[in-house]
Amino acid sequence: MKTVTLLAVIDVNRCTGCRTCERVCPVLAISMHDRKARVDPERCRGCGNCEQRCPEHAIVLEGRAPVLVGVDLAGMDYGRVAELCLKARLHPEQIICYCTASRADEAAAAILLGARSPEDISLATGIRTGCKVECIQPMLRLLEAAGIEPVPPPGGYQWYGKTVTAWELTAEVKAKYSARGFYFDEDLELFEKVLSSPYQGPGEGKDHA
Amino acid sequence: MREAIRPIPPRKSQYGIAPELVKRRLADYPDIRSVLVSDLFPETPPVIYPGPGGLEAVRRATEGAMDRLDLSMIKPGHSVNVLASHHGFTLVGGEAYAEMLRTIRQVIVKRTGCANVRLRAGVGLRFRETEEYIERFGLKADYQGRALGIAPVDEGIAIETEVGTLYGLRRAYDADWIVHAHNSDVREVHFHRQVDKVVKPFGMSYARIETRSTYHQNLGPRAANFIARAIFDAPFVQKKFAFAAFLVATPSGIVGVDADNDLYLLNDRITLFGCENYGKMMTLLGTIDQCVAVLDFPCPVPYVFSAGVIYANFVGANLDLFDLDAPLPPYTWYTEAFYGRRGPLVEEVPPLNPAVRMCLHNYAWVGYPSAFFSEHIPTVVVGEEQARLFDRDPQNLTYMKHAVVAGDTDAALAFCQKAAKTDCILVFDGAVGGVNASQSLVRNLQQAAPQVAQTVEERLLPKWLRQRGIDPDRVERFQP
Repeated sequence: MKTVTLLAVIDVNRCTGCRTCERVCPVLAISMHDRKARVDPERCRGCGNCEQRCPEHAIVLEGRAPVLVGVDLAGMDYGRVAELCLKARLHPEQIICYCTASRADEAAAAILLGARSPEDISLATGIRTGCKVECIQPMLRLLEAAGIEPVPPPGGYQWYGKTVTAWELTAEVKAKYSARGFYFDEDLELFEKVLSSPYQGPGEGKDHA
Repeated sequence: MREAIRPIPPRKSQYGIAPELVKRRLADYPDIRSVLVSDLFPETPPVIYPGPGGLEAVRRATEGAMDRLDLSMIKPGHSVNVLASHHGFTLVGGEAYAEMLRTIRQVIVKRTGCANVRLRAGVGLRFRETEEYIERFGLKADYQGRALGIAPVDEGIAIETEVGTLYGLRRAYDADWIVHAHNSDVREVHFHRQVDKVVKPFGMSYARIETRSTYHQNLGPRAANFIARAIFDAPFVQKKFAFAAFLVATPSGIVGVDADNDLYLLNDRITLFGCENYGKMMTLLGTIDQCVAVLDFPCPVPYVFSAGVIYANFVGANLDLFDLDAPLPPYTWYTEAFYGRRGPLVEEVPPLNPAVRMCLHNYAWVGYPSAFFSEHIPTVVVGEEQARLFDRDPQNLTYMKHAVVAGDTDAALAFCQKAAKTDCILVFDGAVGGVNASQSLVRNLQQAAPQVAQTVEERLLPKWLRQRGIDPDRVERFQP
């Protein structure tokens, strides 16, 4: 859940049509028209990727009337939500986006409601519209657990692919490197303990908005 | 008691408020004094910078370290990417790191005849940060126009590793050879736990979001940094790797430059050196039982530092962050992830350092998700301008939801001391060579330091090294 308070605005006089902004936008809010970038305000989640990467400094973030985006878990079958999270080896209530404090259950709910890609999840929840970096793997793990094989946006840099998890490291790798201070099995044990911890249910003020 | 050390002045940056809005620094207050690291721990190595030799000392140290390197693999027609990272530019003002980067290029050109040497400077979560440093330190001219900031959302390149496909930044690797130009500052020990610290940028500032997310979400708090080793060991990277050069830092300043064609030999030296030097200071700050922590440095909230210890480490200083038997530091992203809606999901989540009674946020930047800190530690932010800056940062939209605003530093300090019921103040202002703190706290640190040094040397250091597979008798020591 995120309250979107910013909107990317293009200075068309500076825009050279290089498409960098389009390639890095995590919600596909930017498209090219007559070799100029155009932002769809309905989709923009104010993350600033475009503003931070535009080589011409042609984009600014401006304030906008706050828009709350998020998936309301109240109407969901939480059993199904939790099942999907656990299949992805995420505790439903663990935080997966540190900027919005969004939890795995919200991303899972977005998938159950029809999200088919990281871009869909970001659009619905605001996840991956803060730092834009750290939460891509949980999103891909949840999509995989749902049996979805998303395809990266053509020509884009939004994401490339899911990577290894603690559960997939081979015994050979662990044996080879454990002596150098990597606590593979101990961390796996910690993950398993988290996964088996009971649900806490709704709290007060613990979901950022 | 020594007067306060003058901190580095505020910096103009898109990630911070305008320098002129920082009206007062904590070092301006009469109760704030200082103690030198070398007085706390007399065995600390001598510093070359800052010092009477100025930047020339850094230049000579870089040249001396590079004398030992084999550069024969670099031919005149080749291209070389000198890979740098943002954190180096926050050490002792940044000029020392910039000087090392300049010297690396000059030595390569001189010894190999290769003129196509480029600077590729990676970042954390502030994607234009190294662009700012390249401009500030004139590195574009030094690299003859071939200097770029690179960010984790830039075009990637697949790297096949022992644990499957990971992703680096194309522009980090678009040369025949790469040079790993970094620093030894321990910094984010809560993340890397001083395990393979020197390799970390291969999984971070030279890496794509997929790789960084693997580090912080997929492997676990003590296994995470393996992802950096996996990338560095990949044949694609190995065939490009020429050498590494490190600015060697201690809590008191820059002590030299180390370089090696073998990154793992360098890794052992730096791991040992870091545990010895930063371990004592972190352990010492862990003896503080109450204080107001003051953020007063031009970098994001968790990275402001005092004698080499960053705020993110101090909020976890109630635990020994070097001890790998402890699964979770009080602050790390895995820890944050495991806070449920009503509190920690598992008992392994430790509480934050109770010694930090309040946080006075006098001056710190945005560009890192920091709401966890203001949510858990009562925080007073100085000035509406700073509060607005955080409200406009996509990574910190809720930081101010938990913090309060004071009109100026005087009011903030008075409120914090009254509310926290302590006169102990620890200032995270990057003061070079020592710690700025209230007189009461300086006295406490002076009294505790000898015992801390003994504890680290006799009990903790052997354990830390054993956990990391390092035999100090067999590791060649870094010679400042």
